[in-house]
Amino acid sequence: MKVKILQWHAVASWTWDAQDETCGICRMAFDGCCPDCKFPGDDCPLVWGACNHSFHLHCILKWVNSQNSQASQQQPQCPMCRREWQFKA
Amino acid sequence: MTSSSAPSKKVSLSLAHCYSLTLTCLFFSVQALSKIASNRLQKELKEWQVNPPVGFKQKPTDNLQRWIIEVVGAPGTVYANETYKLQVDFPEHYPMEAPQVIFLHPAPLHPHVYSNGHICLDILYDSWSPAMTVSSVCISILSMLSSSTVKQRPADNDRYVKNCKNGRSPKETRWWFHDDKV
Repeated sequence: MKVKILQWHAVASWTWDAQDETCGICRMAFDGCCPDCKFPGDDCPLVWGACNHSFHLHCILKWVNSQNSQASQQQPQCPMCRREWQFKA
Repeated sequence: MTSSSAPSKKVSLSLAHCYSLTLTCLFFSVQALSKIASNRLQKELKEWQVNPPVGFKQKPTDNLQRWIIEVVGAPGTVYANETYKLQVDFPEHYPMEAPQVIFLHPAPLHPHVYSNGHICLDILYDSWSPAMTVSSVCISILSMLSSSTVKQRPADNDRYVKNCKNGRSPKETRWWFHDDKV
């Protein structure tokens, strides 16, 4: 039997491959976006630290910048495990 | 031992718990919450209503920026069945900045709680992390209360409280954290 396909719809879904469901800083879903953004995905990406904890890029940047601007000049730490924060290469 | 180094764990109850600096900014300035802050607080409030930490009761108000929380001393501790009130004020940039947490009068008699309600607890100041929540802070405070076996004020209570007149915020104090036993 020969089947002729007249029309088809492709549907794809995506999800971030993080161990958690929500960002530990803003508490919004990873598959959503940080409170400053409108669209999830590439516009509001996730980043991983050397310690393997992940956050919205915008959220961790706010934290790292706020730590760096403090007079005490303490090294920014991962909000989850307190290891020195380094972006995973 | 300065606040820029890691909290020292040297135990010495006779030493002063804090020293205060003359600061230009004496008051806890109340700025409206940022969008991120109010977003997160609404989530925390919702989570609290579903799953409040044991021993705590949040008094409902229409002010998201100031929470009043009742805490009951844990059974089997020197504060068993006693009720105290915590006042939690959130800064504009919460959770990038720690909330201001104090006991309302009368504050419990505790080696790390001053008679003006200020609490010497590192996570409220230098060791704050944006991954912490009101709920986790409350649990830490109850744990701090529970580990005390004596009801007494910090050794430097009078000096500190005198220095804090005019409603200075505990966040303006430079704290020394050197006693992890209580």
